[in-house]
Amino acid sequence: MKKEILNFKVNGTPYEIEVEPQMTLNEVLREQLNLTGTKISCAEGECGACTVLVDGKPELSCSMLALAARDKDITTIEGLAKDGELHKIQKGFIEKGAIQCGFCSPGMMLMIKALLDENPNPTKEEITAYIAGNLCRCTGYVKIIDAAKAAAEA
Amino acid sequence: MFRTLKPFEYLEPKSLEEATGALSKCGTEAKVYAAGVDLVPRMRKRIIAPKCIVNLQRIDEMDDVIASNKDGARIGALASLRSIELSALIKERYFVLHEAIASIASIQVKTQGTAVGNLCVATPASDVAPALFVLDAKIKAVGPSGERLIPIDEFYLGVGKTVLGPNEIITEILLPKAPANTGGGFAKLVRTVSDIAKVNAAAELTMEKGVCKEVRIAVGSVAPTVLRMKKAEDVLRGNKIDQNLIEKAASAAADAVKPITDIRSTAEYRKDTTKVLVKRVLEKALERTKA
Ligand SMILES: Cc1cc2nc3c(=O)[nH]c(=O)nc-3n(C[C@H](O)[C@H](O)[C@H](O)COP(=O)(O)OP(=O)(O)OC[C@H]3O[C@@H](n4cnc5c(N)ncnc54)[C@H](O)[C@@H]3O)c2cc1C
Ligand code: FES
Ligand code: FES
Repeated sequence: MKKEILNFKVNGTPYEIEVEPQMTLNEVLREQLNLTGTKISCAEGECGACTVLVDGKPELSCSMLALAARDKDITTIEGLAKDGELHKIQKGFIEKGAIQCGFCSPGMMLMIKALLDENPNPTKEEITAYIAGNLCRCTGYVKIIDAAKAAAEA
Repeated sequence: MFRTLKPFEYLEPKSLEEATGALSKCGTEAKVYAAGVDLVPRMRKRIIAPKCIVNLQRIDEMDDVIASNKDGARIGALASLRSIELSALIKERYFVLHEAIASIASIQVKTQGTAVGNLCVATPASDVAPALFVLDAKIKAVGPSGERLIPIDEFYLGVGKTVLGPNEIITEILLPKAPANTGGGFAKLVRTVSDIAKVNAAAELTMEKGVCKEVRIAVGSVAPTVLRMKKAEDVLRGNKIDQNLIEKAASAAADAVKPITDIRSTAEYRKDTTKVLVKRVLEKALERTKA
């Protein structure tokens, strides 16, 4: 199939790349831009491992065509740290031991980023409601919630 | 490795005319793309393999605006579930729709997915559809020969089937103005919060001096499509509402459903809980008519 030009921003950097229309945003990020921090697991919207922020809002890169990201601003986990300094959410995860295998962590952290951007002081209930679409197979939810709280307080 | 999608021709029309024209040309081989939440996984699983994808996001006449108008309110077809859930207008005047969307757990699904996409999937387990049934919503569809308004309770034909033609595009959802003393309620029964409903129900009730002036009840997941519960509504309409009558209406609803047994629940359980849910949504709706 004919390739199409995709113009978009990823973590603040503008890109102009050629993509095949059937590529998902997840494939373009991982395979064309080598941003493998964004994971894929269920590939059907159930697990949240593929979460990225699209214009600041959490969406599922496994269920989105790359071309639908035209002119959008994508944030992946690689975009959280700035100038070699980890983001306070990442620090919270380390401090609270909220990472086990780490597979769910990028999606979780981006959900918490979206939450804190909307609501800087969330309650435990608001945090759990926000990460309801993210599965942690290692089941470390309590520490993830603690990490979100620590980040909110930092 | 994850399966990739099968190649297709990708179109990004700028106008409805161009879009419906493209759809007419590609026929049943084409699919319109709103946000992909349902479409992309189904293409990945080869449940569908469209030859042509028509992305609606760049069409000039389409938008995601939720606003009041002289007849009530309108929701642009590109509006995400999340923006509808958070809309002050929807919370204030069409609470049942807010409550229904709030019951969907995944924030990502709601941020990305549109309400219109949810309706078009045409699963009887949709939480959005029963709320729109009881709000008496209409769907505006545009095709090559012009536009038409489809009452939501005439939209569905069966599981995965709607009256929409292959070259028609939904542009907005229209909600009529609710009369004074109207209240609504939604409830669902699930295995876990992030699962789809075993049974769900919605009601919208208008009262006048203790008498039910108007009522609409809808139940989902108990038949191939969401159902209006007309017999149950007849039990209430024109009568003084008390607990006894609510129980009677709920029984009439349970009598009217023809559920199936599947992985989520048994037919018998669905019938029994239809009664419970209809009772609950009527109680909530009644309470809210007083607010
Ligand atoms: C993990 C998960 C959990 C979910 N939980 C729930 C739940 O609890 N309750 C619930 O009700 N739903 C639930 N859903 C369903 C979800 O709401 C829908 O899949 C989503 O809203 C689809 O919207 P979309 O905009 O992405 O549509 P798309 O995937 O882009 O399209 C879906 C279908 O609609 C058609 N379509 C879309 N827009 C138009 C239009 N304007 N005109 C004509 N045809 C159109 C497309 O051609 C396609 O056939 C869930 C989905 C997932 C993945
Ligand atoms: S990989 Fe996208 S939600 Fe699971
Ligand atoms: S840390 Fe392993 S899946 Fe969450």
